[in-house]
Amino acid sequence: MKYVDEFRNADLARAVSAEMALLVDPKRHYKIMEVCGGHTHTIYRHGIKDLLPDQVELVHGPGCPVCVLPMGRVDEGIAIAERPEVIFTCFGDMMRVPGSKGNLLEVKAEGADIRMVYSPLDALRIARENPDREVVFYAIGFETTAPSTALTLQRAKKEEIGNFSVFCNHVTIVPPVRALLDSPDLRLDAFIGPGHVSTVIGCRPYEFMPADYGKPCVVAGFEPLDLMQSVLMLIRQLDEGRCEVENQYGRAVLWEGNLKALEAMSEVFELRPYFEWRGLGFIAQSALKLSPAYADLDAELRYSTPGVRVADPKACQCGEVLKGVLKPPECKVFGTACTPERPLGALMVSSEGACAAYYNFGRKSFEKVEIGSR
Amino acid sequence: MTMKDDLTLLGNCTLDHDGCIVCSDAGIPVRVISIEGDDALCEDAAGNQTEIAVELVAPVTEGEILLTHGGVAIAKVQRADKLKCCRPEGGK
Repeated sequence: MKYVDEFRNADLARAVSAEMALLVDPKRHYKIMEVCGGHTHTIYRHGIKDLLPDQVELVHGPGCPVCVLPMGRVDEGIAIAERPEVIFTCFGDMMRVPGSKGNLLEVKAEGADIRMVYSPLDALRIARENPDREVVFYAIGFETTAPSTALTLQRAKKEEIGNFSVFCNHVTIVPPVRALLDSPDLRLDAFIGPGHVSTVIGCRPYEFMPADYGKPCVVAGFEPLDLMQSVLMLIRQLDEGRCEVENQYGRAVLWEGNLKALEAMSEVFELRPYFEWRGLGFIAQSALKLSPAYADLDAELRYSTPGVRVADPKACQCGEVLKGVLKPPECKVFGTACTPERPLGALMVSSEGACAAYYNFGRKSFEKVEIGSR
Repeated sequence: MTMKDDLTLLGNCTLDHDGCIVCSDAGIPVRVISIEGDDALCEDAAGNQTEIAVELVAPVTEGEILLTHGGVAIAKVQRADKLKCCRPEGGK
C-alpha cells in the first residue's frame, strides 16, 4: 500500500540500517531510552532491534501510565467501584491491572457496575443516561489523554451534570524523565521523545535535556522507519558532538504543541505537589489533580479516598524494568509467575508494557540466550 | 491518492485497533466527514466512522485529517500530499 510502504519499506529500513552501521563509532556504546510504551511496542513488533548496530542499546522508559500506577491507586479505584450507587467507567487496560486484592474485572464479576469506555465522553454520556446513579471515570494517561478528560470535565460543568466525577490519575512526562536523569542507576546517552504526547505539549518542554543534562532528544513517530530514522538522527548528533531537541515527527507535532489543549488542561487541572510512581517513588509535580474550579467533579473529594500506599509483591521487579535497570527477561518472574494471562505486575498487563511487548513478540527465548551469553 | 492512502501516511492505527488506549500513546488519524457543533463525524483508514470532539483543534473543515485520542481530536495534520516522507539520505 502506498505510503504505508514509505514507513515500512524493507529496502528503506536496510538503507537506514546500513547508514547507521557506517556512522557508529565501533568503540562507543550508544544507550538510548525510548520514553514511550508505544515505541517499545513498535520496536519489538517489527524487530527493529535486529536492524540496529551492536553498539546501539535501546532502553525502555517509564512512558506507560498503567505501568507506573502504584497499586494503592488501583485499590482506591476499586473501593469507589464497589459502592452500590456508582457506575465505574475506565479504559480497557485498567480492568486487569492488579490491586492488592484483585482487579476491576474481578470486582465486576462479583457484581460491581464497572463499564469499559473508549472515551471519557462516553462516561459522560452514561451519566446523562443514568441521572439517578453516580458515574465515575477513572482518568489515567499522560498529556496525550489529559486533554480528553479536560474537555469532558468542561462539558460536564457547562451542562451541569452533577452525577459525574473523575478520579484523576493523569501524569506528566517531563518530571519522571528528569528523575531518571538524576538517578545514579542509569547512564543514558540520548532520548527518543514520545510522539503523541508531543502533539499536545510540543517540543519545547524537552529542551532541559540538552540544556541541563547534555542529552539529545528526537521526538519520534510510531512507524518502524520513524523510529529507525530517529535513532539515526541521535547517532548523528552524538557523533557530531551536537546536543539538541529535534522533531522527526513533523507531520503531526508542532514545536509549540496544541495551545488550545494546553489551555483546557490548565483550566481544569493543577499540578499535585507530589505523586507516587511505581519504581520511581515520589516525584514532585509529576501528576495532575482537578483544579479548585472543578472540585465538585473530583471523585477524590466526593468519596474521600484515603491515599493508601501498597507495596508491590516482593517477587515483582517492575520498578527496575521501568527505570531501565533490568530488561524484562531479567526479572525473576518473567514468563513464569508473571504472564499476560496472569500478570503479577502492570508491565505485563498493558498490551504495550515492556514485559508484554517482549513476551508477545517472541523476544523471550532470544533475550534469555543473549543475556546468558554476556 | 485515495482517502485511505492519505490517512495511512500518519500511521496504521484505526478506531478498532487492539492497542492500549492509555499506554500506547495511540493517536488515530481520521478524516472529517461532516461537522455538527463541537463534534464531527470522522472516518478512519479502515472505514470505521465515529463522532469526535473537535473543539481543541477548531476550526475544522470537511476533508481535513485529524489525529484523535480517546474520542477527542488533539492535532490537526497537513494533507498527505504536503507531507515529507521519512526518507533517509541516500535511500531510494
